[in-house]
Amino acid sequence: MNMKWSRVWLIYAREMRDQIRDRRTMFTIFVLPLLLYPFMGMLMLQVAQFNSEHPIGVTWIGQENWPQENPLLVDSDANRKTNDLIRWNYLATSELKIDAQAEAEALVREGRADLVLITKPGFRDWLSQSTMVVNEETRQTTDAGLTATASPFESKSNSESNSKSNSESNSESNSELNSISIASISSTPATHPSGPPPLLTVVNQASDSSVVAMKRVGHLLEGWRSAWLREQLAEANLNPSIVDVINVERVDIAPPETKQALVWSKILPLIMLVWALTGAFYPAIDLCAGEKERGTLETLLCSPASRTEIVWGKLLTVICFSISTAVLNLFSMQFTSTFVINQFASAGATDVVQALGPLPFSSLTWLIVILLPISAMFSALALAVAALARSSKEAQYYLMPLLLGGLPLVMLPMLPGVSLGTGTATIPVTGAVLLSRALIEGHYTEAFLFAPIVIGVTVMCCLLAIRWAVRQFENESVLFRESERFEFRAWIQNLFQHRTPTATANEAMLCGTIILVALFFGRMSLASNELSWTSMTQSTIVIQIGMILAPCLVMATILTSSIWKALRLGRPRFADMLFCFGLGISLHPAYMLLSSAIQTEFQLGADTKEVLGYIDAMISAAPLWSVVLTLAVIPAICEELAFRGFIFAGLSQEQGTLRAIIVSALFFGLSHGVLQQTIGATIMGLILGVVAWRTGGVLGCIVLHMTHNTLTMVVARAGKQADLIPSGLDWAFERTLEGGLAYTNTWTILSMAIASLILGALVFNKPTSARYFWAKDRIVATES
Amino acid sequence: MTTMVQVQDLTKTYPDLSEGTRVAVDRISFSVAAGEVFGVLGPNGAGKTTTLRMLSTILRPTSGQIIINQANIDTEAHLIRKSIGFVSNNTALYDRMSARELVEYFGRMHDMERDELREKIEILFKKLCMEDIGNVPCGQMSTGMKQKVSIARALIHDPPVLIFDEASVGLDVMVARALLYTISGLRDEGKCIIFSTHIMREVEKLCDRVAMMHRGRILDIGTLEELADKHQQNDFEDLFFSLLTRHDQQKNLLGDQVDMQPLKPTSVTRRPSAGAATV
Repeated sequence: MNMKWSRVWLIYAREMRDQIRDRRTMFTIFVLPLLLYPFMGMLMLQVAQFNSEHPIGVTWIGQENWPQENPLLVDSDANRKTNDLIRWNYLATSELKIDAQAEAEALVREGRADLVLITKPGFRDWLSQSTMVVNEETRQTTDAGLTATASPFESKSNSESNSKSNSESNSESNSELNSISIASISSTPATHPSGPPPLLTVVNQASDSSVVAMKRVGHLLEGWRSAWLREQLAEANLNPSIVDVINVERVDIAPPETKQALVWSKILPLIMLVWALTGAFYPAIDLCAGEKERGTLETLLCSPASRTEIVWGKLLTVICFSISTAVLNLFSMQFTSTFVINQFASAGATDVVQALGPLPFSSLTWLIVILLPISAMFSALALAVAALARSSKEAQYYLMPLLLGGLPLVMLPMLPGVSLGTGTATIPVTGAVLLSRALIEGHYTEAFLFAPIVIGVTVMCCLLAIRWAVRQFENESVLFRESERFEFRAWIQNLFQHRTPTATANEAMLCGTIILVALFFGRMSLASNELSWTSMTQSTIVIQIGMILAPCLVMATILTSSIWKALRLGRPRFADMLFCFGLGISLHPAYMLLSSAIQTEFQLGADTKEVLGYIDAMISAAPLWSVVLTLAVIPAICEELAFRGFIFAGLSQEQGTLRAIIVSALFFGLSHGVLQQTIGATIMGLILGVVAWRTGGVLGCIVLHMTHNTLTMVVARAGKQADLIPSGLDWAFERTLEGGLAYTNTWTILSMAIASLILGALVFNKPTSARYFWAKDRIVATES
Repeated sequence: MTTMVQVQDLTKTYPDLSEGTRVAVDRISFSVAAGEVFGVLGPNGAGKTTTLRMLSTILRPTSGQIIINQANIDTEAHLIRKSIGFVSNNTALYDRMSARELVEYFGRMHDMERDELREKIEILFKKLCMEDIGNVPCGQMSTGMKQKVSIARALIHDPPVLIFDEASVGLDVMVARALLYTISGLRDEGKCIIFSTHIMREVEKLCDRVAMMHRGRILDIGTLEELADKHQQNDFEDLFFSLLTRHDQQKNLLGDQVDMQPLKPTSVTRRPSAGAATV
């Protein structure tokens, strides 16, 4: 039946009217955003008044050991300001009944002081003696320096020796510069046979005020050291300004508007997306779970409106509220921020005005353009998830993970170095945030270059989410789900009594999840193993057999009545095997190309690259048969039995072939640890899924997988061992600039054409009937 | 009389964590003619609501056939939706809509023109004595008023088949009696009515024929007189309980075998004796 838009409009209009009449929804969606930002602004101003710097307490033990002629407080504005925020308390060493450090620790622990500074006896004496030595030494060095300066046309050797002597004197001078050491009680006390006794600061780093005290006292000590050095240098007839040898002056060419846009571009997309998601939540809950609770869903379902029309009507309502919430928040924020910044400007707070500036109106326009597809996607997701719930309360439990799952995608662009590119543009939500950032910052060329990818990905996700929502409304076990009491014993009994030849969809999903969790913990624990080929072989066998094959074998044995059917171990046609072998060879160049593109777009960190490089070297050094067995044969068997066997069979039986192909490919992709491999493996998993579907079993997939992995190993090895590739195949391979081996463009294009032909033959040919090894019965490969 | 509803070997099963599959409705067959009130009587959990939900296209049958007003549910569910009016036990109204708005909404859903719709609403509201509650939000109505609005909603497109799923549950005696009067009047207008209940007195007063359901099966079907003659029980309540007890005893003795054979062949072909019951 065709969808009637007049009916969609009717449902939409009713839902809108119903929501608008709900005071709580109206308050959350419309009133709250208008009040929120003025209220937040007011609150921040209130908090700012309390956010003054509070004085901290510092106890100084042994102040008498400090040189009286050089007081700690050096006369400067900054130092005076710092000193005003310190409440000093003095304890003479002679007054102490116990050890100074023990006393200091007690003072800090009991909160009687935020920091205790201990000057040990002998500090003042050392300083006065050291001053004399410095004066004497620097005078001699200065004389030498003056001599060198007086004869600039001396020989090179002289000049070198002078520079050496200068450098030595500098290093000595530096050693003197660092002669006053500050030790923390947590650090091992440094031994300074010729240095001064260290100043000891006792702090509690778990206390904020103690950390502040550390900074303030550190600032005073640094000021004192600098002043003391200047004094010493002056006395030695040296230029005191050498203390400030590095004096950086910054020239910023960024216009204020760009800097302001940079600030807003980080804040606004985040706010917009969070509110778009929040705005979709509550109407979605009311329109699905609320309608179930009130019993009105039944009357709607038996009306002439089709499920698709109902979903579209509701979806449009949720989209409207999602967009309205986000837009109202943005406008409210724009109005409040402009008002506050104008007030700051009139009060003369130019630094705030320059840093933020009023929220540019053009930014809002770009954000609203991006908001439309994003809101549609969030709304469809929220609607589909809310449809699962029996009540509004239950829906809130389900929607929270959606928010938590969406936040990392919104936060990802905040990471330093993440910018709009082909790779990031393909990540849902993240791409949209980066695109809106680029538009706000005025990088239009970059934005328009990647906009088609971002919009394409977002629209595709949106359509998938809508399709999911429609499916939820067509699924009566979702719509009329009743609370059932779960009895473990009865469930176990049922598992054994009502076993089916293949797994159920839930069991397939459970198997996939168990494999992923096992791989996570397994890889983490095996990562600490020594990096050698033997340990790598052992790890691979443990991972493949213990964490991928074992869960599906155990589940197939316990939960199904036929392990052969559960793992799709049908006897294949010989022609199919040949097709799969040919597909493995012809797909390989295309996969290499894809892999290279992925590596360019999603570049790995230096550490990961280093580890992978080491592993590559290790694999190259190992015997080829061992490499092929470990990295091609075993993974092909284990992974195919799990993903295209057990999981595919369970999913295709209940949820259709398409979902079986997609979900098994996703599980397969996620089972690979590195992001680059995950993307490539997911795409390969889709092709393997199609092969599994059309050949009616798993053996064809094993052949394809094994051929592919073997070729990868052989081509990588042939880069370093030229004789591995027969000379007759020169037309297919060429040397890369890095010295490796790659396919020629001619063979890549030709092989892609061959792969397309083989895939086409598999897809459009009559599906294969699977014949099982142990029995005569046949089942048609296209289960659903 | 024209047969409006035909049900043949209708079955509905649900997946169940403990039992694997739970059979809610097990191969039931019956037919209902125009101008007839067909009662579906059974205790809670008998499968009445599941059966009526399948008839109203809310649930898909696992197997079996449903033909309503010559439309097959498998291929022409959208035509069936136009031929039926469904009244559930929980009134199911939108609290923030007035009675008039709600009835108009469902009328427009059935592609009715505005003028025709307004006219129809006036007639219907007058007939159901609802003129004074037309603009009252449903959330502010009493249960009886809500049930009236629910009936008006089901009748607005003048469907030939009406399905009442335990519509009298929660109503006080007066309102329940008025509901039975209304249904009786609709029968007189030639509507085909399927009325599920677990209250035997309502069946005795209203239904022309009755199907007694238990554990998803129809135990027997016929007019009250036919059933009384067949089972030698004059009291309907006693008859019902004896059937239920006999079914449960047989099931306990024979296990599931009893489900393989109906206690008595269903009366699909039996002609109804319309108007047998009076209110």
